[in-house]
Amino acid sequence: MFNRTDDKITTSQAGVFLTNTVLGAGILTMPRSITQDMKTPDSWLTILLGGIIVMLAILLMVKLSQQFPGQTVFQYAGRIAGKFPSKVLCLLLVVYFILIAGFEIRSLAEVTLFFLLEGTPIWAVILPFIWVGTYLVLGGINSIARVFQIIFPITILVLLASYGFSLRLFDINNLRPVLGSGVLPVLHGLKSSVLVYTGCEVVMTLVAFMQHPHQAVKAMMGGIAIPFALYFLTIVFVIGGLTADAVITSTWPTIDLIRSFEYTGFFVERLEFPLMVIWLMQMFCNFCSFFFQASLGVSQLFKFSITSVIYVMVPLIFLAAMVPKSIQDVFALGDAIGTMGLTLFLLLPVLLSFIWIIRKKGLKQHV
Amino acid sequence: MYRSYKMIFLYLLLPFVLTGCWSSKEIEDLAMYTGMALDIGQPAPIEEEFEAKGAEYSKHNKVMTTIQIVPMKTVGTKDKNNTGSTKKPYLNVSGSGDSILEIFRQFSIRLDRPIIGHHLKVIVISSKLLRKQTIEQMSDFVLRDNDIRPSTKVYISQGDAKETLESSEPNEIPSFHITGMYRNQMRTSKVLDFVTLSKLDALMKTKRSFVLQNLVSGGGQIEFSGAGIIKGSSGHWIGNLNQEDAECLAWITNKGKAGAIKAYDWDNQPLTYEIKSIKSKISPHVDEGKISFKVHLAVEGRLIETWNKNNIPSTNYYAEKTSKIIEEKFAKMVQALMNKLQSKYKVDVAGFGNRLAIVYPSVWKQVEDDWDDTFSRSEVNFTYDISVTDFGSITETE
Repeated sequence: MFNRTDDKITTSQAGVFLTNTVLGAGILTMPRSITQDMKTPDSWLTILLGGIIVMLAILLMVKLSQQFPGQTVFQYAGRIAGKFPSKVLCLLLVVYFILIAGFEIRSLAEVTLFFLLEGTPIWAVILPFIWVGTYLVLGGINSIARVFQIIFPITILVLLASYGFSLRLFDINNLRPVLGSGVLPVLHGLKSSVLVYTGCEVVMTLVAFMQHPHQAVKAMMGGIAIPFALYFLTIVFVIGGLTADAVITSTWPTIDLIRSFEYTGFFVERLEFPLMVIWLMQMFCNFCSFFFQASLGVSQLFKFSITSVIYVMVPLIFLAAMVPKSIQDVFALGDAIGTMGLTLFLLLPVLLSFIWIIRKKGLKQHV
Repeated sequence: MYRSYKMIFLYLLLPFVLTGCWSSKEIEDLAMYTGMALDIGQPAPIEEEFEAKGAEYSKHNKVMTTIQIVPMKTVGTKDKNNTGSTKKPYLNVSGSGDSILEIFRQFSIRLDRPIIGHHLKVIVISSKLLRKQTIEQMSDFVLRDNDIRPSTKVYISQGDAKETLESSEPNEIPSFHITGMYRNQMRTSKVLDFVTLSKLDALMKTKRSFVLQNLVSGGGQIEFSGAGIIKGSSGHWIGNLNQEDAECLAWITNKGKAGAIKAYDWDNQPLTYEIKSIKSKISPHVDEGKISFKVHLAVEGRLIETWNKNNIPSTNYYAEKTSKIIEEKFAKMVQALMNKLQSKYKVDVAGFGNRLAIVYPSVWKQVEDDWDDTFSRSEVNFTYDISVTDFGSITETE
């Protein structure tokens, strides 16, 4: 009865899809990456500011995509900017998606190996995830969205519960003084706070799959509002619990927060284990989303069948995950991905909208 | 037929995915240590014997590490035949060297099971050691390690730290005993808030001075006795606050809400006041670059014990009279504490700096670097509002 064959997703599914694409390993390191650039406890202001900027960017991407109903960016870019330039741009986007997929799965492996499975070879963690991911992605956008819908409430509940239990460490004075060093540090942290939303480019393909494309703004804003709120909570709880000075030097600040207390006699004394195990599912969703986007891009750009593209992607993603030699390399790759994301945003939605407006309004062409 | 062969083949494959965890280790085969003591570097007695026989490696004896291993076998079982024996449920192993991890690895050539830090509950550092080494050096490894949790509690010891991990009680594990002691905080503020590794990390990073609860051992027992002061700029231990100072510090910083105050009344008889609630408010003032603080302590409590032969009627007049005496005692304790902080040790461990940073961030920026010095020259005024709300379950009339 609920089997769909038309490869369309509902409005709420689209929202959850975006949420799960943005929320991933970033939440474990984000308090550090932002506070490092600011050196004040005002990171929560930065995350709010960054979130608003990202919302505007998403609005632009949705509006652009709505001009071409049923088409993804890989299809409509060619109509706007011409065949060759658009292929280059879209290929960049595909490379970007592959890199994030690799990065996400590598972060997942790093954190698992450090805290949970010391001694297990890294490929033994990465490969099963890629294989299971392949199986899911082969099912198409409908199956992926369905899985996301199931996993999403579980992971969020466990995350929020862990934060709730950390309240005993929370000290509001750790977040004060507000703007003690002025507004400048807030602007310094802005770049890294926009970077934690990397992956929101998927909006440009998601809208095409929506059953009711006119509700796209609602779905996408709802989808980004959840990571926005969770990032805000994370930064408030982590800095309120650990202080800004300690967060700057912590490799995995969010996990360190949960590791800093224990509940003797509670049915799980140490909450970092349930949190990490459950958060693995979130990182898996995240990875699958980018896996799917990358495969979709190649298949639409070059008119290959998506099934064969997915199989070809497997070794590529594995390579992308294994390229960094150390955790420093992983974080450097993360930074590079962030910068690439910003560049791509300027190149794709901004440039495309610009060209589209000129051609439509200026030259009165039919695009 | 072909189909069922295929199914059988698949079933045979199943066991391969049921092999369990790749890197699993049986807990019985591991030696969990629950306590760790850091002392001044000198070869432990057993080590000396080893070294005399030439069993040595290149090291400078800068620190002695003692870990308390809890053997599962002795703890879990209640063997009736064994009650007479003096067998302890724990094993303390000591070694010295100049790297804590290296010392740990030396334990691995002495013990029959690999040691594992997942269940480390308490670290005791001797104050003598902290005079030579900094707290940053001593906590670097434990903060970096992935087994040891940041929830581990940290204490300072006045004498040898390893002695605090010994107990004369036959069935008691000293590290668990120390871990549980904070529960008495509801009874007395002489028990300070415990400092976990993650809190210690934050305190060290700010470069501000702080205190760690001090442990004193004697006759196989231990006691929380005041607090050791760590100077923020150097990371060294510089002195102790006694029990009353520590209690007073907890009240000023709003971290202690309990305790008994004993004073001598108008007939020089003991008079004890039990604190029900205490609120402290530190307000900084900056006047033409001169920093001063006002501290207001609002205390509520009851008269709980008196040795006076004469009646103490339950009237407002006597409540007032009692509170005057308690206030004097309070003022005396506060004076003693502030003397130590401002004159003797010249450190701010009571969070005056934090308050200044919140209220006057720009002023704080200027004085941040030598705050301890600036603080010792700042004026601090105390006001008290002490009320006796009841006289317990005895009501006397005039």
